[in-house]
Amino acid sequence: MVHSVGDQETQRPDVLLLVLALFPASMFLVLLYALITQPLPWAASWTWVPSLGIDLTLWVDGLAAQFLLLITGIGTLVLIYAAGYLAGVTGRARVALLLLLFMAAMIGAVISDHLIVLFMFWELTSVLSFLLVGFSHEQENTRRSAQQALLVTGLGGLALLAGFILLGQIAETYSIQDLIARADRFVGDARLSAALLLIFAGAFTKSAQFPFHFWLPNAMAAPTPVSAYLHSATMVKLGIYLLARLDAAFSDLLLWEVVLVAVGTSTAVGAALQTMRERDLKRILAWSTVATLGTLTMLVGLPGQGAALAVATLFFAHALYKAPLFFVAGNLDHGAGTRIIDQLTGMRRYMPWTAAAALLAAISMAGLPLSFGFIAKDVLTIAKAESEVFKAVSYASVFVSGVSVAAAAVAAIHVFWGRDTVPREAHPHEGSWPMLFPPLLLVTLGVLFGLAPTLVDPILGAAARAIAPGLDADAVRNAYDATPVISATLSAVLIGVVIYRNWDRMHALLERAHFLDVLGPESWYWRKLAFLPKLAAWLTRRLQHGRLPGYVLVLIGTCSVVLFALVGVTWPTWQAVEVSAPELPVLLACALIAAGALATLFVRDHLVLLLVSGLVGYGSAALFLFTGAPDLAFTQFAVETVFVVVAATLLVRLRRAPATASSALREPVLRPVALVVSITFAVVLTALLLFVSAQPFDSTLSEYFGAQSVPAAHGRNVVNVIIVDFRALDTLGEIGVLLFALLAALPLLRLGRGARSEAT
Amino acid sequence: MIWVVAIAFGTVIAAGTYLALSRDALRCVIGVAMLGSGVNLLVFASGRLQSHIPAIVPATQTQLTLAANPLPQALVLTAIVISFALLCFSLVLAARIVLERGDADLEELRFAEPHAPEGYKPSVEESQ
Repeated sequence: MVHSVGDQETQRPDVLLLVLALFPASMFLVLLYALITQPLPWAASWTWVPSLGIDLTLWVDGLAAQFLLLITGIGTLVLIYAAGYLAGVTGRARVALLLLLFMAAMIGAVISDHLIVLFMFWELTSVLSFLLVGFSHEQENTRRSAQQALLVTGLGGLALLAGFILLGQIAETYSIQDLIARADRFVGDARLSAALLLIFAGAFTKSAQFPFHFWLPNAMAAPTPVSAYLHSATMVKLGIYLLARLDAAFSDLLLWEVVLVAVGTSTAVGAALQTMRERDLKRILAWSTVATLGTLTMLVGLPGQGAALAVATLFFAHALYKAPLFFVAGNLDHGAGTRIIDQLTGMRRYMPWTAAAALLAAISMAGLPLSFGFIAKDVLTIAKAESEVFKAVSYASVFVSGVSVAAAAVAAIHVFWGRDTVPREAHPHEGSWPMLFPPLLLVTLGVLFGLAPTLVDPILGAAARAIAPGLDADAVRNAYDATPVISATLSAVLIGVVIYRNWDRMHALLERAHFLDVLGPESWYWRKLAFLPKLAAWLTRRLQHGRLPGYVLVLIGTCSVVLFALVGVTWPTWQAVEVSAPELPVLLACALIAAGALATLFVRDHLVLLLVSGLVGYGSAALFLFTGAPDLAFTQFAVETVFVVVAATLLVRLRRAPATASSALREPVLRPVALVVSITFAVVLTALLLFVSAQPFDSTLSEYFGAQSVPAAHGRNVVNVIIVDFRALDTLGEIGVLLFALLAALPLLRLGRGARSEAT
Repeated sequence: MIWVVAIAFGTVIAAGTYLALSRDALRCVIGVAMLGSGVNLLVFASGRLQSHIPAIVPATQTQLTLAANPLPQALVLTAIVISFALLCFSLVLAARIVLERGDADLEELRFAEPHAPEGYKPSVEESQ
């Protein structure tokens, strides 16, 4: 995929990545030591953003500790594996750096007790996953897969944030532990269902649950170490982690149980069907991972203590067998140049160590005795027996186990045993030691824990107690009845063998079932993604039409609507406006203003229009004169007069220009839309003016100027004192504006004269 | 008394907006100018019209009493001058457009956003 097959030069492990693997390795050892010496839970807290009530509270209980062990332990092995797999590949240092950052984000997500802090790390894992999936960004397919992973998990993240905020408001706390402690106080809240559905959306997108499951198999475009780490052992489990974390608070809710069991079961069954449609070993593993995630979701939804123990055990078992299988797929890709199972048979002759790892991992995945997978299946059966799930869920689970057995057989038996059909010129070869050590170590641990489950009992028990407080792990185990487990294993193996024997036939049959693709949520995703640019293009064409009056209409129309809503909301609180008879001069001035304004609407000639519009200015000046503002009145008179003279000169000159002959406009006299918008705008603004006038007046500033004018500024005309003294800088700016306007207008005027002289 | 001013104000705003929405550049400029005058009235009136004595401290006193509110007057005075500058500039600009193009139709004024060619349809690929 990212290397040249058989190139012996690339077989030398990369030293940098091996050195970087020491970081998570040392963290893993410190963590292990601390777990042995210090009793759980560990808590620590710092104030972080006090204004938002966000504290950096860390809380490590059994569930978090289990995740920490997996994150650092598998993280170490993934880096070691990458040292072999990515040896000689450009950009391997970037992958290592991103993997370490991702590790930090995962650690942050599982140890933070504050919902918002948890969300922050959650989003960080989405972004880093985008960068890691898009490693081979030269290929368009990879870019699309990375984009899809980011969009699906990112949108889910938004829903999650909304759910967290809502949940925090309902519970009046953002601390998960507080939330669990006072759960019984708010479980009856009507808003809780909405909050939980939003949180489900976040968790389901992250953990690839139906109908958001499709991004995970596509994310297999990532390099194998990334897939093994993100898409099997850690990130996709984060959604399950969150659900398990909140299970203690909500496990009694019907909504919680029904949604999780239904979604989990349908995800598992759908993914099992899809497993059989694939030919690429890595995608087979991806779909079987989705199936396991569905089973985990279902288990979180099941009430009862056995389910909590089953969640913790299956978490652990899955990481121990699925990560090595991904490594195996990577070794095959690396050593034989393909992951298509039709082209891979009898590989054990070339890759004996990989074959051994594949076999042991497959035994665990199939849940056969003497493996840790068997222990997981064991607890799972107890959990289901304990909580009386529907028959349908039970049957579905047996089917899923059967497919999982078949997939394990494909990965181990079909690929490594049987006739050797690999062409010699492909030079199939075994991987270097960093590519063999991680899978072999993990499968050895799987066998070890399968033989002596007491080694991991303390951590699994502690994790289960975090999900279901008050759980007694021994009691669960003592209630254990061998019969259902054996019958479940037998039926799963039986179904698995049947599916494996008929794998090619079922594949051919299912491959033709195209309706699964057409109706699936993935095709919906692509349709929506193609629709977005079309919508954007349509909107742009509508909004950016290039007509100035249209832009002004949108601007003023929007202002009117917003102000109208404001007026509508505040209307009941308004006080009546005092209606008194106005003084005659004011009445006349206002009549002059209104008459001038109305007259402008009926005038077609530009020069007359200009003169009529001057009436508004002169009316305003008269109004100022009779309401105690003589300075304003004189300025307005002067400005209006000068303006009319300037404008008239300009217009007369324009009329003389021969080009203006065609300036008659093709505009209707009555423009209904413009009329409606302008009347609305005017009515709303008038209403606001009346509203403002009816409010009590705060005269502090005016009184200050009135009192300080003579003592501080030695001027008796308060208006002038404000302009040239108190607000002198503003006035300087005003003069600047005047000068700039002049500077800008001068060249236009000169050019105009030039153009005219050329024309004549 | 405020209601008379409010009616005059509303009329000015309505007429100014209607003119500003016109396709004719000169009418648009005059509409904007009238909107400016309207806003001056708004600012002036929201300072209350309680007195018609000018805001001048009598020679016998050191403090202003019983006079019109000086603050909105100062603001409006600045606004009058600035809107005059703006108006003169836009008028010159509009006149320039008429000289250059022969008419003042704002709908046809699209140097920056020219019309698409006949039958042109932007494709999705292009907009991506």
